[in-house]
Amino acid sequence: MDDIAQSLLKRLVRRIPRQMLQPTLEKWGRLQKAQLESMDFTLSKYALTEKLLSICEENDWSTKHITELELLSYIIDNPNVGMWHAYQLLDPEDDAHTVELMQFKEQFKSHLTELIQNVSIKIKKHTDEAVWIRLAWGESFSQPNHFKPTYVVHYLQSPYVFMTSLKSKHRPLLDQALVLATRCQSIKDANLSGRKLIAIRDLLMKQYEQVFPSKFPRHIPENNENARNPLIEQEQSALSSNRLQMACEAFGGGKLPEIQSAVYRLKTKFRGHAKNMAQRKEPFKCVVKFSSTNLLESLRSCASSGIASTPVTPLLSSIPLKGRNYFVITDNGPGSSQTLHQQK
Amino acid sequence: MVLFPTLSFRIFHSCLSRALSCSLTLSFSPSFSLSFFLSPSFSLLPLQLAPELVSLLTKAEWQLWYVTPLFQFKYTRLKSYSRQLSAFIAAERQQGVAVETEGGHGVKASFSLVQGLAEREGDTEAVLIQIASRPMFSRPDDPEKTIWSGWFSCVHGNVDYLTSLSQDFVCLPLFCSSGTENITSIVRSWFSRFFDCSFGCLEINHTTLQWLATLWTNCQQEADLQHLKMTWTVPVAPPMQITYTVNSEDAWDLWSSVRKSLRKDTEEEEAIDLEEVEEFMRELKSHFYRHFKLHLSISNSRYMMSTLSLLTECALLKMPI
Repeated sequence: MDDIAQSLLKRLVRRIPRQMLQPTLEKWGRLQKAQLESMDFTLSKYALTEKLLSICEENDWSTKHITELELLSYIIDNPNVGMWHAYQLLDPEDDAHTVELMQFKEQFKSHLTELIQNVSIKIKKHTDEAVWIRLAWGESFSQPNHFKPTYVVHYLQSPYVFMTSLKSKHRPLLDQALVLATRCQSIKDANLSGRKLIAIRDLLMKQYEQVFPSKFPRHIPENNENARNPLIEQEQSALSSNRLQMACEAFGGGKLPEIQSAVYRLKTKFRGHAKNMAQRKEPFKCVVKFSSTNLLESLRSCASSGIASTPVTPLLSSIPLKGRNYFVITDNGPGSSQTLHQQK
Repeated sequence: MVLFPTLSFRIFHSCLSRALSCSLTLSFSPSFSLSFFLSPSFSLLPLQLAPELVSLLTKAEWQLWYVTPLFQFKYTRLKSYSRQLSAFIAAERQQGVAVETEGGHGVKASFSLVQGLAEREGDTEAVLIQIASRPMFSRPDDPEKTIWSGWFSCVHGNVDYLTSLSQDFVCLPLFCSSGTENITSIVRSWFSRFFDCSFGCLEINHTTLQWLATLWTNCQQEADLQHLKMTWTVPVAPPMQITYTVNSEDAWDLWSSVRKSLRKDTEEEEAIDLEEVEEFMRELKSHFYRHFKLHLSISNSRYMMSTLSLLTECALLKMPI
């Protein structure tokens, strides 16, 4: 095993949580039964690494095998490392919906290697219709860098692609390969990013509990101890349940996808009372960033508690509605200062 | 010893230079004070700070602390302190205290003197500490990466207080740190053990912050600063942070417009009063409210100026950059 493969393996074992080592190796399926049984998973990670290294030597494995293991462990356990960005494929050809896994794999590999010879590609399909791609990029005279791979996830039958750790210089190559392999015309930035892949996927593909307006406000139970005590009566309970209903309509009910931030680049005319500013033609340029460990949860809480006025402003409710968290907001035109127009 | 912060403001004109001078004094009773002097058109001494240092000081975001005088801190022993702090950090790491996210194989602390910030007699020279690490997969000749910076300074300290200290003490009351909380707490812990000092968070209240934001904007023309950035924390579950960054030219236009409408013609142009400051902040918040329907004032009133520590900029404004 060469140095790179050894370093990769050491790093991989360090990264995989202890309790996941055995299941991951079993799922990988490349170790022979006897070899797997010979590993004592109660030993330290250092000892386990040494054992694995010797097994790899026995089986004459190379970087290729280790990167396959890395892809698998990443899929299973680590899709929350780094920042994921969402993209959308546009204008599918007539036969785009017939593209299935094998065709996608072949086409993607062939197109990408045409564009850049020096790239290492690994593709694996996961159970939930997700195709995972691991890419290690090389320069003209150097080996592919396996220590900084790009991960791409595409949900077949949907126009969405998610990427992490991609350098801007490689982006056009990847875009081209994806577009050709999926039989679409182009790909655009979906303006959604976050640390948790599943969360941004759920947000974009609307896979979370949505709440619709109903004539009779549905009582969504809050985690409120007071609610259980019949002697405590909440003042303004109608108002507060109304706010709660509107908050849930805007952001969703139940558990919400965890995104960490939303950024608004405002280029609108100044909206205060200062007299001279009202005549000012130029927009008042500012950037507002909301951040939290679970931003949608925080925003819903702002709306239900009254910190944010209800009905919730379209700027904030656009996050779950449009599945994006980056917005450039401009005025619609010289006449209407009331409406806000969203740009891509 | 319990220290209670009190705040006092004085706006006055310096007879010598006819410039606007504003002094913010944060006094911690019983006898501890720290003050910064801001004077946009007043350049007395040509401060010579190395450009890399200026860049470091203005580009990082600093967390502010006050620190009690350091017992037997010697400027001649900086190299020795560097070695000892490096060893301390290594020891803390071995005990399992997480140091930085990229596992480096060596961390090295270096202490250096920052000349130029100590202006008046009685001020002590500022000390800069930088901690560098070597990332895991780097080659031997790769440059080290600075993962943490911090500095101690005393700029225009209260002369009475400084002269009252015994010779064994060095007073560097402002400590600024930039980097992970883990390393910051290790550094603080080392200092408190070695020099028998204690640290406290320099929390600045709502009024001061309004002043700082406004004064900063006021200086925009002189200093070509990039943007005005303010941060609020909203008390919801989970807590949410709102960072509102305004382009400096637009902030300046708003400020001028507020001043024009509030100031009577007879008043001196250079004096700024609280009404203007509050109006400026109200206008900024109003623009925000019209878009997001969220009242910033409802949020925790401890909002922090996080970009380009204003306190540093005040000192640096006098420099020909």
